[in-house]
Amino acid sequence: MRPENYEAQRHPPSNEFELNFGPNHPGIEGNYALKVKLHGDVVVEAKADGGYLHRGFEKLMEQRLWIQNIALVPRICVPDPSPMEVCYAMAVEELCGLDVPQRAQWLRVMQLELSRIAAHLFTFGGHAATTGMYSTMYWGVADRDLILDLFEEFTGGRVYSIYNIPGGVRRELPDGFLRRISETLDYIESRLPDYDNLFFKNQVFVKRAKGTGVMSQEQALAWGVTGPNLRATGLAFDVRRDDPYLVYDQLDFEIPTEAHGDAWSRTLVRRLELVESIRILRQVVAALPDIRGPIRAPIPNPLAWNVPVGEVYTRVESSKGELCYFVVSDGGPKPYRVHVRGPSSMHAVQVLEKMSVGSRIEDIAQTMFSLDACPPEVDR
Amino acid sequence: MSSIKQIPVITERKGNPLARVFDEFVRFCRSRSLFILHYCTGCGAIELPPAMTSRFDMERLGIQPMVSPRQADILLITGYVSIKTLKRVILTYEQMGSPKYVIGICSCTVNGGMYWQSYATAKKLDEYMPVDLYIAGCMPRPEAVLAGLQKLMDRIHSGEANSWEDYFRNYDYYLGNQQKLFGENWQTPTDIITEAKHYDLIDEGTFGKHTQLLEQHQKPLEALDMRLGHDLKEPTE
Ligand code: SF4
Repeated sequence: MRPENYEAQRHPPSNEFELNFGPNHPGIEGNYALKVKLHGDVVVEAKADGGYLHRGFEKLMEQRLWIQNIALVPRICVPDPSPMEVCYAMAVEELCGLDVPQRAQWLRVMQLELSRIAAHLFTFGGHAATTGMYSTMYWGVADRDLILDLFEEFTGGRVYSIYNIPGGVRRELPDGFLRRISETLDYIESRLPDYDNLFFKNQVFVKRAKGTGVMSQEQALAWGVTGPNLRATGLAFDVRRDDPYLVYDQLDFEIPTEAHGDAWSRTLVRRLELVESIRILRQVVAALPDIRGPIRAPIPNPLAWNVPVGEVYTRVESSKGELCYFVVSDGGPKPYRVHVRGPSSMHAVQVLEKMSVGSRIEDIAQTMFSLDACPPEVDR
Repeated sequence: MSSIKQIPVITERKGNPLARVFDEFVRFCRSRSLFILHYCTGCGAIELPPAMTSRFDMERLGIQPMVSPRQADILLITGYVSIKTLKRVILTYEQMGSPKYVIGICSCTVNGGMYWQSYATAKKLDEYMPVDLYIAGCMPRPEAVLAGLQKLMDRIHSGEANSWEDYFRNYDYYLGNQQKLFGENWQTPTDIITEAKHYDLIDEGTFGKHTQLLEQHQKPLEALDMRLGHDLKEPTE
């Protein structure tokens, strides 16, 4: 079926034809569509067609209590749900002036970095599958499952953890969890050379990804690109370092960059970030036993919680890019307005449209996966 | 050609023991080789890669993903369906060849789930198409997905999973709900009534005031329109 706003017209005879790419297409990430105009195999024009996953999040959040929204927000971005809840919780804390205990902040960092590893593994897998290398996808999904097992153990949910509440986190770590997380990290680290040999050094991937979907640093900044996609153009910008939240300023990590701004660089940046995330997690595991104290600040009765009047803007670095919340409170039990600034709405709409032009049709899927766009978050 | 004609055509199914054995055999084979078309309508789709790949491995049950609706047996609806998606889901469902089975994964397909008050989602999937099986949960784990699929296999084997016949028998009800949501001009390129006649599944519910409305609005499709499913505008100079 065609896009809603589509008007069919009889055109004079030409060599161009139109193709609806998606929404139900194995090469597209999730429920998303592109309308492309082709000349032979080459894309002449691409138009993004979203809205298949629209649920009206920002409106729904205005109709629910502050605390109920915690369960709602992870659904905005399915592959990487943890930053959503952390960012929202941070916004509410800032509105109320709550002080989050140290231990809760370290636990949040642990959750965020685990989520980043899981999301990156999933993205490589998808990217590899679009170039026909299904074994990398099988490996990526299997290794991601190890992280999901950890999530299940310490938050109670495999995918949606709902671990945060304004003021802290919900539960303490289970016994022996730090040992198990170290084992999993060791295992994933030992797998990285295998991934290199199978995927990152594979000529099939290198030849197809190099020079595909190129953007310069100026273009990236003008288009609002953030996250690994921006770092792949050579700019070392990371919210974790440049505007530190939680306890990231006490942690030691690097910001990997690449210079070329193509699909290959973007995927390589993610590969290098895995190492950094593992490094951060090791520091968290080493530090956690010495940080004692409560895991959440006392909050008033959450069912009758009137958050003070005010406006806040919080941002975190998710695995896809910069994620921000703008929350307005009118002093009532429910938010007055919540705006989510997700990274994927820029990546999947304007960037993808421009990058697809001039590429061959089989590279569209690859470009989309290398941008790591997340359709549920585009549509919200 | 001549050898094909010599195969006896079994018309009297009920009394014929050979036909019963044959039917049983067909159902057995059918339940052991299922191709799923998963329309990633919502968040539940994220649990399908683990269910399909090495860890939970759906393939050992004889179930594989399939990319085109015409060759698929199961339509897997993985989560909330927004109204824009629902149109495509119905179109996809009508394109699939019978027998076809629908599984609704996630609470959102059962009753709207988390989005019960959202303006943009359809709340109950079975108002728009017959559903064989629901797998509830937000989101169901891969084990639950596999258990659901095994249940469907059993039902196919025992001959209970025939909700697809329901779509033809009660077409008027489903069409009515679709018209209520998408407007009176709603029309898909598939001619369900002719198909129902083909399968000999005409029932009281097949016709009604909604199908009459469809006939009034239905525009005869030209060859080109048939492909696009819409009437074309003349070129504007
Ligand atoms: S039931 Fe939960 S996981 Fe499933 S689609 Fe609805 S919100 Fe998403």
